[in-house]
Amino acid sequence: MPAIETTALTKRFGDVLAVDELDLTVREGEIFGFLGPNGAGKSTTINMLLDFHRPTSGSATVLGLDAQDEIGEIRKRVGVLPEGLELYDRLTAREHLQLCVEMKDAPEEPMAVLERVGLSEEADRKAGGFSTGMSQRLALGMALVGEPDLIILDEPSSGLDPNGIQHMRELLREEAANGTTVFFSSHILSEVEAVCDRVGIMSQGELVTVDSIDNLRERSGDAGEVELTVETVPDDLGLKMMDDVSDIEIDGDEIRAYCHNGEAKMNVIRHVDRAATVTNVVATETSLEELFNKYTGGGRDGLDDDTRELAEEREQPQEVAQ
Amino acid sequence: MSLQAVVKKDILDVRRAKLVWGVGLLYTLFAGLSFWGIGSSSDTDIYNALFSMAGIGVLIIPLVALVAAYLSVAGERETGNLKFLLSYPNSRRDVVIGKFIARSAIVVAAIIFAFVVGLGMAFYYFPSVELPNYVGFVGLTLVYALSYVAIAVGISAATSTRSRAMGAAIGSWFVLNVFWNFLPIQPATVIEFVADKLGTSVSQNFKDLVWVLSPTGSYFNSLSLVFPDRINGAQGGGGVGDPFYLQPEFMFVILALWIVVPLALGYWRFERADLG
Repeated sequence: MPAIETTALTKRFGDVLAVDELDLTVREGEIFGFLGPNGAGKSTTINMLLDFHRPTSGSATVLGLDAQDEIGEIRKRVGVLPEGLELYDRLTAREHLQLCVEMKDAPEEPMAVLERVGLSEEADRKAGGFSTGMSQRLALGMALVGEPDLIILDEPSSGLDPNGIQHMRELLREEAANGTTVFFSSHILSEVEAVCDRVGIMSQGELVTVDSIDNLRERSGDAGEVELTVETVPDDLGLKMMDDVSDIEIDGDEIRAYCHNGEAKMNVIRHVDRAATVTNVVATETSLEELFNKYTGGGRDGLDDDTRELAEEREQPQEVAQ
Repeated sequence: MSLQAVVKKDILDVRRAKLVWGVGLLYTLFAGLSFWGIGSSSDTDIYNALFSMAGIGVLIIPLVALVAAYLSVAGERETGNLKFLLSYPNSRRDVVIGKFIARSAIVVAAIIFAFVVGLGMAFYYFPSVELPNYVGFVGLTLVYALSYVAIAVGISAATSTRSRAMGAAIGSWFVLNVFWNFLPIQPATVIEFVADKLGTSVSQNFKDLVWVLSPTGSYFNSLSLVFPDRINGAQGGGGVGDPFYLQPEFMFVILALWIVVPLALGYWRFERADLG
């Protein structure tokens, strides 16, 4: 049974199609990163999973339960860190957790949870005086209460410093190691790269792709670029004719070649070396950032063709895990 | 069962809100002033002091109730901490009913506090205090206050932002209170005027019914249950020959509707709303 499954899930706000026939499956026990730029429909999707928003059409199940009819049962078994969660300014950190424990009938000690998220020294401070990072830690602690089968986090790292992000990742890994499914949304890629088993990328209300990071790299057909500095650029390089080279840019004495794989990079270097005097070589992998931009249509100079291809790909039904 | 958690959270939270305390103390202050003012004059009739409290009450109590409750749902919805309650095993119905119970408890506590202070002063100033009637008066006032808490929670559940909730709360206070029962132009006279223009007329009973249909009207009319006739004379309603719908006992039906209907309408809107 999948932890989350949506079928043609759609949400329309007036003229705006926020989520467009989304088919998404999150497997039990995995850490799933839900990526996309702001406004792509991530939060709307999560809001529908938690019955904060009612779908215009389509349906969603969480832990095999209908996200509307059986939301009460879902709320017992899911830990949530909602987007833009505001804490109660007048309640202390301990009181917040005490409430969570009571509402979930959970066995936890509030202090133990506070310790886990590194807030034990602030237990009796009112949340109104918390920094964004502290609030986010407390909210994360609140999501962990009651040993949930699934944790849903909407932009969990916003407001966290690098240390906090690192700490959060460790907590999520611990949870996943205990068999909990973790589903979190983010527009920060490094975070996703570091913890996720699989990612799904949303763009303009549609799921553009779902895969592991490695496969994504491979499937995007772009293994990175090689940048060569030469004394003089020969008139006719003929690089564009080479296999697995998607594009060439020449800027002054620099030649930049975008390649589909490592072998192509090597071929480019050999080829240029024969034709000119190479003074420097830099080869890079495609960063996730670029990958992300490509999938979400953000584009990169010189990659217009690729973007168009991806846009066409998007029209076709997406391959989704069972 | 999760209702309990919502109530507990809410009381924990609101009892630390200074505004609610401020308005509550204002009512206590007015209560003290009525007893002091009438008690220290040559008037030895405690009912005059109580009636004066009712007169002040219909202006202040709706304010206490509306201030205590108009943000109960809409405020949390706008800031996003409603998502906290709804991420746990609490239903939207738990939220609306829980808020009503919690805010009612706060308002009831504030009013009882004011009346306990008043009772102390009553024993000091007046030769005789008929406790059952005093308690009855407090009870009626509490039911009246609950109707406004329900109106405020209903408004709060039906609106999505603080500003709208505030606008609707002020509007309801003005329409249901000032306009309905105190202005020279009020629903009862408007209906009479329209009927007159149409060449027909409405009976006094019908006009009285319109007057008592507001929470304030029915509260006033119900007071004849605890006040002797010499005080009630001025209010008219509730006489022996009047139809059932003007009898003081019937006022409980009207007040009960003012509790149930706003909550039901608010919940109906809230249940279908997209949050955040």
